[in-house]
Amino acid sequence: MREVFFYLFAFLSVVFAVVSVTHRNVIKGGLSLLASFVALGAVYFTAGAEFIGIVQVIVYGGAIVVLYLFTLMTMDLKNFGKEPLRTISLAAGGAISLFLLFSILYAGYRFYGGSIPATVSGAKELALPLFYRFLLPFEVVSVLLLVATVGAVAVGRREE
Amino acid sequence: MTPFDFFILSGLLFAVGLFGVIVRRNVISLFFSLELLLNSANVLLVAFSRLHGNLFGEVFVFFVLAVAAAEAAVGLAIVVALYRYRKSVNTEDFSTLRW
Repeated sequence: MREVFFYLFAFLSVVFAVVSVTHRNVIKGGLSLLASFVALGAVYFTAGAEFIGIVQVIVYGGAIVVLYLFTLMTMDLKNFGKEPLRTISLAAGGAISLFLLFSILYAGYRFYGGSIPATVSGAKELALPLFYRFLLPFEVVSVLLLVATVGAVAVGRREE
Repeated sequence: MTPFDFFILSGLLFAVGLFGVIVRRNVISLFFSLELLLNSANVLLVAFSRLHGNLFGEVFVFFVLAVAAAEAAVGLAIVVALYRYRKSVNTEDFSTLRW
């Protein structure tokens, strides 16, 4: 049962990712990016990473994509204009991404056997390494979020 | 559901994101592609965290999420400031700093 849901949601997340990158309309691209992230959260659930799946849906789906969509609301979508498709950038992008895909697959081929153990890591299991071994990086990340918030307000402020 | 399946998923997401970064000219679409790149790394971190039996990889996914949120906030502030000057989000209109 885990396998069926894993393949289903992995397929869905890749399909929605392709739509979000290639669609001309930015709003529809953002919505399909949201769908891709929610499907990826389901993939984490099938792998047993329960807390990460929840956080993926809340942070990526509920915060980051909504932030992008709110920013798009403040802009005039009519003067976004057409994007010219250049053959050279299409060819370069396709070649580089295919090369990277095959090199990732080549590096991962030795992990062909084996299987993911069917344990579940919820909030309780994740709290132990997060608040003991990685306590200092956790605090540094909180400072980073504060700095990013202050910086975003300072940069986005309207000049008087 | 072998670890290699996670490699396939991560590689496909990374290839799609990199294609978008190279081909698209809209800054918002570039940000979408960047989020896909970050997520493809997260997939492999979760898979290897499960495979090794400790949870350090999942802790790193947590940190990557926080950094992605900070990146989205600062990046969107820059995009809004640029849009106010140029009335455009196309990267080819921002080429004054190019050599």
